[in-house]
Amino acid sequence: MKTAILHRTLLILLGGSLFWQPVLAQDTPDWSGVWGMQGGTIFDQATRTGEGGSTTPGVREHPPYNEEFEAIYLANLALRDAGVFPDPNSYCGIPTGFPRLMNLPDVYEFAVTDKQVWIISENGPNIMRIYTDGRTQPPADDLWPTHTGSSVGHWEGDTLVFETLSLHSSEGGTTIIDRTGLQLSDAARIVTRMGINADGQMQAQMTIEDAKALTAPWVVTKQYRKLPEGTRVFDYACNENNRNPIDPNTGWTYTIGPDGQIMDINPGQ
Amino acid sequence: MKTKLLLVLTLLVTAQASAHHSNAMFERERTIELVGQVEEFQFTNPHTWIQVNVADENGDLVEWSIEWGSPNQLGRQGIRPSTFPPGKDVVIKTRPMVDGSPGGLFVGARFSDGETIGRW
Repeated sequence: MKTAILHRTLLILLGGSLFWQPVLAQDTPDWSGVWGMQGGTIFDQATRTGEGGSTTPGVREHPPYNEEFEAIYLANLALRDAGVFPDPNSYCGIPTGFPRLMNLPDVYEFAVTDKQVWIISENGPNIMRIYTDGRTQPPADDLWPTHTGSSVGHWEGDTLVFETLSLHSSEGGTTIIDRTGLQLSDAARIVTRMGINADGQMQAQMTIEDAKALTAPWVVTKQYRKLPEGTRVFDYACNENNRNPIDPNTGWTYTIGPDGQIMDINPGQ
Repeated sequence: MKTKLLLVLTLLVTAQASAHHSNAMFERERTIELVGQVEEFQFTNPHTWIQVNVADENGDLVEWSIEWGSPNQLGRQGIRPSTFPPGKDVVIKTRPMVDGSPGGLFVGARFSDGETIGRW
């Protein structure tokens, strides 16, 4: 299924950045509509305990961590099991970032334009820009870490293939991949192949390399089901009425009562 | 018919409702029923809250805070800000807070006309 959108031939070399290259005209697929992620908000099936757990296939097993990152992950899992893992997403302030951005509840839109693809998550909200205009990755000096990194891609038929670099490190626990505490380092390089599979589901296969954290490439696949025509997407303002502040020291989730004051007691205190 | 629809939808919602934070503050297994009147339905992100006035053992009214899913998820599944009108009599089924505070995680509700929402 194709749209009538055609990529223009980009004559970037005539007046653009030095690292841009011309892109030939091509069709782009129709990714319109609203999509819902399948399989729960964790990457690692082996960590499923019910809370936030996955019930359908689509994610892989335990990541191939080296000794250092395995120890970090096991410690985070222990906190998660006690209900006190300090998930940055629960603080309502830090963008989710990539690749966790592909692993959220609520819904998605995938906007294909002739020069960029935008992955828009209602939860957050978050937006990730993937440049398909023929540019290459910026020089190293221009690659400071960001939450969604730097993504440059191209089309292989109806499959979008993109590389993501320059992601924030998980050092200090500020960036995690999912609610179980999966982490990556600032050396992460992720190549994503994304398109609609034979079952009509959007599929994003992410091959994650990380020389500081992983002993082998880690392949994670997430799938998204197209929701009925007319499905609405709404604002998501996490601080609108967040009545569950997190204790930064203990990770305990408090509850704010109708008088605006915390009403419960942290059993660990 | 409406009840069945809401039941199915709520089961879908509860599977995703824990995305924002841990639910360690709620009892995992025990469910209680609260008989009261709706004070307010906060149809807001990141979670909705049903405020319900419930008489305690001394007859004094206590305002309970019942946490539910996000308005976005619920809205797509048929729940509206008008679903819990202020002043309406309701029985709420909830997983209460572990420390006994007047709050809980929404499980289901039944109105006096027999309409039910969620798992009942």
